[in-house]
Amino acid sequence: MPRLGMVIDLKKCAGCYACVAACKSEHATPPGVFWCRVVKQETGTYPRVRRSPLPLACMHCADPPCEQVCPTGATQKRADGVVFIDYTQCMGCRACMIACPYQARYFLAELRPYYEGQGLTPYEQFHNATNGYVEGTVTKCDFCKDRVDAGKEPACVANCPGKARYFGDLSDPDSEISRLVRDRRGLQLHPEFGTNPSVYYLPI
Amino acid sequence: MQLQQAQPVQEDSWIPSACSMCYSNCGILGHRVNGTVVKIEGNPENPVSGGRICAKGLSSIMTLYDPNRVNTPLKRTNPEKGIGVDPKWQRIGWDEALGIVTEKMRAAMEKDPRSIIFLGTAVDVWSASFNSAFGAAVGSFNAWISGAGPHCGNGEHAMAGILHGAIHTQVDYDRCNYLLMFGCGSGGGSYYNATLAIRGVSEGKARGMRMVVVDPMLSPSAERADEWVPIRPGTDAFLAMAMLNCLINEAEVYDAEHLNRHTNAPYLIRPDGRYARDGRTRKPLVWDSKEAQPRPYDDPSVAHPALLGSYDVGEGLMCRTAFQCLADRAKEYTPEAAEKVTTIPAATIRRLAREFGEAARIGSTVTIGGKTLPYRPVGVLFFKGAQAHKHSLLTAMAISLLSEVVGAVDTPGGLLGSNPRSFGFPGTGACSWEPKEGPDGLLISGAWGISVPSALSEIRKPESINLSELVPLGIIATGAPFTMIDPEKYQLPYKPEVHFVTGSNAVMTLTQPAAMAEALKNIPFTVCFSLFLDETTEFADVVLPDACFLERYEICNLVSLGGYANSAIIKEWSYYLRQPISEPLYERRFRNDVILEIAHRLGISETLYAAFNRFYRLRQPHQLDPTKRYAWPEMVDATLKSYFGPEHDLEWFKQHGLLKWPKKVEESYWKNFMHLRVPIYFEWFLDLKDRMEDLKKELPYGDEVETADYQPLPDWKPCAAHEQNHSGFDLFAFYYRIPTHTFSSTYNNAWLDGISSLDPNFYAFTINAETARNKGIKEGNWVSIESIHGGKVEGRVRLTEGMHPEAIAMANCGGHWSKYLPLASREGKGACFEQLMKMDWKCVDSTVHNWDLCVKVKVYKIEGRS
Repeated sequence: MPRLGMVIDLKKCAGCYACVAACKSEHATPPGVFWCRVVKQETGTYPRVRRSPLPLACMHCADPPCEQVCPTGATQKRADGVVFIDYTQCMGCRACMIACPYQARYFLAELRPYYEGQGLTPYEQFHNATNGYVEGTVTKCDFCKDRVDAGKEPACVANCPGKARYFGDLSDPDSEISRLVRDRRGLQLHPEFGTNPSVYYLPI
Repeated sequence: MQLQQAQPVQEDSWIPSACSMCYSNCGILGHRVNGTVVKIEGNPENPVSGGRICAKGLSSIMTLYDPNRVNTPLKRTNPEKGIGVDPKWQRIGWDEALGIVTEKMRAAMEKDPRSIIFLGTAVDVWSASFNSAFGAAVGSFNAWISGAGPHCGNGEHAMAGILHGAIHTQVDYDRCNYLLMFGCGSGGGSYYNATLAIRGVSEGKARGMRMVVVDPMLSPSAERADEWVPIRPGTDAFLAMAMLNCLINEAEVYDAEHLNRHTNAPYLIRPDGRYARDGRTRKPLVWDSKEAQPRPYDDPSVAHPALLGSYDVGEGLMCRTAFQCLADRAKEYTPEAAEKVTTIPAATIRRLAREFGEAARIGSTVTIGGKTLPYRPVGVLFFKGAQAHKHSLLTAMAISLLSEVVGAVDTPGGLLGSNPRSFGFPGTGACSWEPKEGPDGLLISGAWGISVPSALSEIRKPESINLSELVPLGIIATGAPFTMIDPEKYQLPYKPEVHFVTGSNAVMTLTQPAAMAEALKNIPFTVCFSLFLDETTEFADVVLPDACFLERYEICNLVSLGGYANSAIIKEWSYYLRQPISEPLYERRFRNDVILEIAHRLGISETLYAAFNRFYRLRQPHQLDPTKRYAWPEMVDATLKSYFGPEHDLEWFKQHGLLKWPKKVEESYWKNFMHLRVPIYFEWFLDLKDRMEDLKKELPYGDEVETADYQPLPDWKPCAAHEQNHSGFDLFAFYYRIPTHTFSSTYNNAWLDGISSLDPNFYAFTINAETARNKGIKEGNWVSIESIHGGKVEGRVRLTEGMHPEAIAMANCGGHWSKYLPLASREGKGACFEQLMKMDWKCVDSTVHNWDLCVKVKVYKIEGRS
């Protein structure tokens, strides 16, 4: 069985936020919700200083603590490793948000329009009919499972202007992402949490 | 909120088109379901994006559907105009609106057609030639633009034109090993072909390309660099001069073969600065080292002209070679002196020069497509940050000569013009151009289309609203606000009567908004084609609701194909269509359709069609028949067929989106296939200076026109901010660009607003942490930035180690105030840098009309505000 994973090459990441927009546009996520985001980390003192982007999203951990704490079974892990939420089963207890060490989850307290107080755009009217967001539930990156099931790459990967993102099968030692992790000494974020993330970062 | 029922799918299509959120014009695909645009993606077939677009393009649906768009024609009912003065808009029908516009235009045309002034934006240029055709029909070429152009490229564009025969330059990322940038957004998502440049830098870095960024700020590009070299704002030219000194005089690293063959470096210069000329042919002389005598530069018998030295050309007249003149000028700029001015250690300057010189691999070659070419894998890019100062031309000259001296120009690995040479579409030969030989063997660009800077450039007494006759080197003159405020002083032979605005937020994006407002108020009638009731539309008498780029047909004009949308880093030529993903919503109409109707009402359609044939270089049998009447899509159809053959008509392009064909080695690296020289000694600038001095005497405002910078060699001269030492005004403020907004135009986009908010710098004032602490300012404090000119902006500070201690910066152009832009006009959405500026010729570079965008300021905490 494959284990789907992602590799992000920090040398090629421009910190341009296109992935954040690609994710928002793919999933029509509500305002303030960013399944994919980028944080900038600054180190050093003037004039020897660096600021580096770190793209973040759900790590699709092999041992996801969010799944373990979910009382209703809303958070599930597919056989291919994709961790997703079935909104119809989520009761909004937010235990998963506490359990997730990567702050990848958002609670939809209230579904607001993009333009506050000005109604829904035709775009929202269209997507709200299909995207299934429910007030009072939790949401997060689903590795673009619908795209992946259709044979496409996740939106953030397919659009990345710097081609910094790779997607593939971590269980296949000959896959591109397995080779990249091996050859470039790919790192998981906070491996000490013991969740075994499926997202790897290639150091600069 | 309830879950809504999905509608049954009647229509589901993906439509190829072109983005216009910025000037990069990336190829996109729009997904439309049942008439609603549900997604915008990059078009993988289109080489201008390669299927990967930026946050702005992806977010463009929010601009299409922004509930704050203008949806119907409006007219002002309050005759008083001013910033914050409610125009009391009244909704009117299209017929009434066009009736008013036509009547005002007709009256102005009867007085003097030049009294009709056109205003546009550099972001939106595909229809620039259409606008020109309308101008020709009206009888007025009085056009100006605000924002992008005057704020960024004029120095660079001049050098790109003179040295590369191009509109602008890009680095050959595929082969470059050492990228040196001065205040430029490439790789950080805000330069020409923004996403492709990101990829070029990413893949270059993965290959091992070293990237060094000189910038006062750890900018989005500098974040990507292997080395960030912080510099005091406005001193880039000094660094470049010191590097030239290290290369030429200290290390003696220069490409002699390139300089001899492709530049005027061996030309002999008389003590008065002019070429020593052959008595008979009047051609510039070079020194034939073998025969020890002067010869005309193009004498085929001269195998090895002297590159350095001083020679007696007869009667004891000692002449230095042009390159010796440059070497001597550079010698005045020691790294030690540079350290004092730039704050960059002398040892760092020497190291950068050494690294750069070594990386250039002078003498090496590479074989591409069976052609063996010089291989110079170093690139030097500069843009707004370096040149948006007084003395922009000299800064551009100094930095550009770094590439020229090592021969890294229009050859593999180096700096490439975008795009000097095109053989045209293989099927028809349409869309072709190339540089030609001008006076003294120097090239004249074939890619500019308009006002090419060269020794043949004219200087005349101005009659244009922007005084372009006084700016032979600038692609866009920016005198308009001065003349609009005081037309008598500038002796224009007409008084501006109608302002015809095709999209530009000029109040916020050129200089001092209060002064801009006075300029706009001075024109009796203004019609604005607008997406939003922004700060400039507030001055309109009639507002026409324009279609955004997702609602309209448009074609790439030749200037755009030449470089604006199709830069040197793209390995294929492509010509593509912009077509509606959505029909225009509400009562919106695309302005080209409306302009055609206005022309019809004015009875000038025939001249418009004839001008269109000319500007679009249409060939028979596809030229428009002036006696017929055309809709805009029909004109698009005729143009496409004329360029690409009858089979490639509008219907074909609607389906396929684009035509593409490979760039040939002889196009990309044209320099090796054409024998045209460029100046490293700008002798003809002396002639410009003389002509300008003569003209000044006729102008009552002549003392405002400075000519000192028309000099043949580069220099660093301090801009105004360096000479202002008023107590308390201790920091240089400047603005920089970010990848999530385009100038002022995107700040009301809900997605871009959300994404920009994620970055701690993008909406804040960025200041060096220690500088802030010394002023008692803490992270997140609200501060005032007060300019030496009296302007003020307020906002939150971001403390960082990544900023020169003497500087404070803000991104793009936020700080909107229109109540019709509710997201953009909220508190804390950035600031409008122009509030700190002054509309004063002292803040404008006379030679190319770049505005000086560094201003001395004082910064203090606003007590009690959080």
